Amino acid sequence: MKQAVRQTGRQRTSTPAAAGPLDAVAAWCRDQGWEAFPFQQEVWQALADGESGLVHAPTGTGKTLAVWLGAVAAGWTPQPLRVVWLTPLRALVADTAAALALPLPQLAPDWTVATRTGDTPTAARRAMRMRPPTAMITTPESLSLLLSLEDAADTFAGLRLVVVDEWHELLSSKRGVQTELALARLRSLAPGLQTWGLSATLGNLDEAATALVGTPESSPRIVRADVPRQLEIETLIPSPMERFPWAGHMGMRLLPQVVQTLAPVATSLVFTNTRSQAERWFEALARARPDWKLALHHGSIDRELRTAAEDGLRLGRLKAVVATGSLDLGVDFGPVEQVLQIGSPKGIARLLQRAGRSGHRPGAVGRLVCVPTHALELVECAAARQAASEGVTEPRQPLTGALDVLAQHIVTVACSGGFREEELFAEVRQTAAFRQLDQASWQWAMDFAARGGPALAAYPDFARIRERFGRWYVAGPAIARRHRMSIGTITSDAAVEVKWLRGGRLGTVEESFISRLNEGDRFIFAGRTLRLFRFDGLTAWVRLAKASAVGVAVPRWNGGRMPLSTLLASHVQKLVAEGSQQQPPTAEMAAVEPLLDTQAAWSCRPQPESLLIELVASRDGHHAFLYPFAGRLVHEGLAALVAWRIAQQSPATLVFTVNDWGFQILGRQPITPGGAGGGGAFWRRMLSTEGLLEDLLACLNGTEMARRQFREIARVAGLIAGHGAGRKGDRNLQASAGLLFDVLEEHDPANMLLAQARREVLEAQFEYRRLDAALARIAAEEIQIVEPRRLSPLAFPLWAEQIHSRLSTQGWLERITEMARELEETAACSSSREA
Amino acid sequence: MLVEPRGVTDPQPLKLLPGRAALLPHDGTLLVADLHLGKAASFRHAGLPVPEGSSSGDLVRLARLLAETAARRLLVLGDLFHASSGCTPAVLEEFAAFCCRHSGVEVVLVEGNHDRRVRIPSELGIDRIVPSLEEPPWRFLHEPPQERTAGWIHCCGHLHPRLSIRSPSGDRLSQRCFVEEPGLWILPAFGSFTGSSVVPIAATTRVWAAGDDAVVDVSRMAQLAVGRRLPPARA
Repeated sequence: MKQAVRQTGRQRTSTPAAAGPLDAVAAWCRDQGWEAFPFQQEVWQALADGESGLVHAPTGTGKTLAVWLGAVAAGWTPQPLRVVWLTPLRALVADTAAALALPLPQLAPDWTVATRTGDTPTAARRAMRMRPPTAMITTPESLSLLLSLEDAADTFAGLRLVVVDEWHELLSSKRGVQTELALARLRSLAPGLQTWGLSATLGNLDEAATALVGTPESSPRIVRADVPRQLEIETLIPSPMERFPWAGHMGMRLLPQVVQTLAPVATSLVFTNTRSQAERWFEALARARPDWKLALHHGSIDRELRTAAEDGLRLGRLKAVVATGSLDLGVDFGPVEQVLQIGSPKGIARLLQRAGRSGHRPGAVGRLVCVPTHALELVECAAARQAASEGVTEPRQPLTGALDVLAQHIVTVACSGGFREEELFAEVRQTAAFRQLDQASWQWAMDFAARGGPALAAYPDFARIRERFGRWYVAGPAIARRHRMSIGTITSDAAVEVKWLRGGRLGTVEESFISRLNEGDRFIFAGRTLRLFRFDGLTAWVRLAKASAVGVAVPRWNGGRMPLSTLLASHVQKLVAEGSQQQPPTAEMAAVEPLLDTQAAWSCRPQPESLLIELVASRDGHHAFLYPFAGRLVHEGLAALVAWRIAQQSPATLVFTVNDWGFQILGRQPITPGGAGGGGAFWRRMLSTEGLLEDLLACLNGTEMARRQFREIARVAGLIAGHGAGRKGDRNLQASAGLLFDVLEEHDPANMLLAQARREVLEAQFEYRRLDAALARIAAEEIQIVEPRRLSPLAFPLWAEQIHSRLSTQGWLERITEMARELEETAACSSSREA
Repeated sequence: MLVEPRGVTDPQPLKLLPGRAALLPHDGTLLVADLHLGKAASFRHAGLPVPEGSSSGDLVRLARLLAETAARRLLVLGDLFHASSGCTPAVLEEFAAFCCRHSGVEVVLVEGNHDRRVRIPSELGIDRIVPSLEEPPWRFLHEPPQERTAGWIHCCGHLHPRLSIRSPSGDRLSQRCFVEEPGLWILPAFGSFTGSSVVPIAATTRVWAAGDDAVVDVSRMAQLAVGRRLPPARA
């Protein structure tokens, strides 16, 4: 099966290299019974020509071999270390090693492959240092750790190639920044190093490639594998539609239809958006069909249990696996014939990625079935399906200027035999993430690492790195040890281990969840109903309990909510406006049309080029619902901004909730002065772009968002003790990030990490640029204010949203008084209802 | 705010002060708990860059409280110091200077779990260090006792209590607090660089929000917020 290749990089005249080794590789492919794709041959040639670049292709099309066989063909001597292969998930390391080892016996019998992660035993690490493998498969965190060791320069001196697998996964995160810095370091240690990335398709491939190879390599080769895959995407339509809920992502109404969909297929993958959803669906499916072999897979479940699920899937022994994003990546499971997506896919790339996990048997078709959990998700499913068929994909923006990661990197390099300041500065500026780094910020990061802060700030007796004869070294072995333990940028909440009373681990839950339970309470975890026997602060001891539908808690893990992408949000808005007038109407839109008619009857149907605002009064207070259709993150910023501007007019405490379609602001007093009639000018002011940045920065202080964001920064920058914390002797070093934020604000307000926290909220959390664009769009739109008598179908999910944010311009005493009055009213209200 | 403790026949009132301290007016004793002096220094010692300032700031606040109340005795209910690695010369000297400036005030430390791991120099100016102190009906301890002895008011620190209340419209108050049960007082942590933990609200619990500028009785709110039935408030 030969495919055409389109080359998106600039055209080059490729010099024909010595044909020998590449011929051997091609011959090996033929021995395996398949012909090399043109894109693979292109990569081999580029590798032979000494180029760097990025290969993008759908999963399962042979990206790995494209790069690996190119490396094998280079015929480097097996020692020293020649290839570093980075993968984002520790779980993928073993599978990758097996894939890379496959062609070696025939093509390079003296080459060896080894894995290196946090789990690698000490003896194996020592052996690896004595006799390095030809290729090492590892994670970004473990690579940084290796770079912090004193013999790093020797280890990597002979390195020729570094490969970053699933680069799109790392790209827009701090792990991506960490990877960029590590790559720059490797390029300094091994001049002439080639860098290749493997990625799924992105909306901004050029940017992704530049971030990968760094700035001196100006034009990385971008190779696209044009291997079309047949995908079928459809949506389960609830029947009858009237009983389908308007809100709530835990809805199980479609369970019977899901069971029907699974029944005729040998093996299915059921994706959910959150771990709690996975737990619930697994439990429900197991109850509905006790005869099926099912498994559960998510990030908090113990590794052994996860591996068992993966093996079951690979061997086709399971009817279905219920999984979260933990199974988005990795080696393909041949037996999977269809994928079910519970809840909206939230993004087009995500939909395609998940759909691509099915149909890997030769000649098979990928099949994905969307399962909405409430009525409005039907629209999102329809929009995602439509956008996917149009072939558009979201971009992923690389992060820039993360000083916390830079500070960590500075100490890492200091641990490994020291550095000259001007050399490291130049090296760091070769990454895309720090290309714009100015001397002042660099100086601050150096001071932060060396003294805790600028020379005049109050950090007596502090030093992590020290200068000796023009080079910077780590200040002591204890500091180095602690630093190595906390390398990385992944932050997790205090995790509590769940263990059987009779021995054996089940996984981890967040402390905040388990501490709310009493001994004897039941909860669902790892697909089982458990009874909490005892919780001793570090471990939750459990026994198996009888399953039941009522009175059983399901853990919630933080950070599970995915925002709708902008691209998808605009498709949704279009569909809501057009509805079933589209010809021919899709099944989803036909089903949801009666609901949109109700919206039109009770309030208004949102129209393009018009912003709908609904004002409703209820027992809770006065609500304003706005629907800009800009995605959850932008709405969070907009809601905070508007709440801040409202509370500037008279001191108030306002609560806001957001979803992907709009946001709600709730206050004790009427929000619009003069009711709906005179409100147009008021809302124009509240939504104006004038003074946007100033107002946003000001409202951050009123919302505690920067304080929350600081958690991750504090951990990465080394303000919070890492994994070593919690052990005996380290208990004295525990402080919450919020507390540290307050201490810094009070005693070192110029600390750049505080500024970074605010910037990250603005850029990463509110997506400032998107927010600015959304406001500019609204400014050109008509504002339509209605006062429905009750909550409209669009307002209902916002009202039911459980995650609130709060903004206050009142002092704490005023707030207490108001809260006391509210609590009294509610109490009086509920007792009078009962009377 | 003057409060009469419950659980004893002859209660002496306790005055709750803004800034997380309390006063026994009958003998002029200022009560504070959990200062954790030198905590920032112990963090820096371990390679965590936390700025200095909180310990000095807390001592300044303490000096102001001593002056305002004209207290004759300062009783620290444990955890005066955070850790031995944080007891740097600068931190110790600062505290010694503080004691020196208040030579007319008797300084008594009820030893806390953190203090026991610190070698406190005798020349620091602390007049007495005791495991606990009994002055009927008061029994001063660091950790709240497992069992309360009838006829005593146990007065403790250690827990760093914080109150968290959510109102129906979604506003949330999270504030350090004084907690009282019959026969038991728990003081909020005085130190500004200290964490806190949420206290459970039993039917008998009384709580006061401890602000820097005011102390507010929030017992009724706390009870309503956990959904307990109470008779309607007096008009």
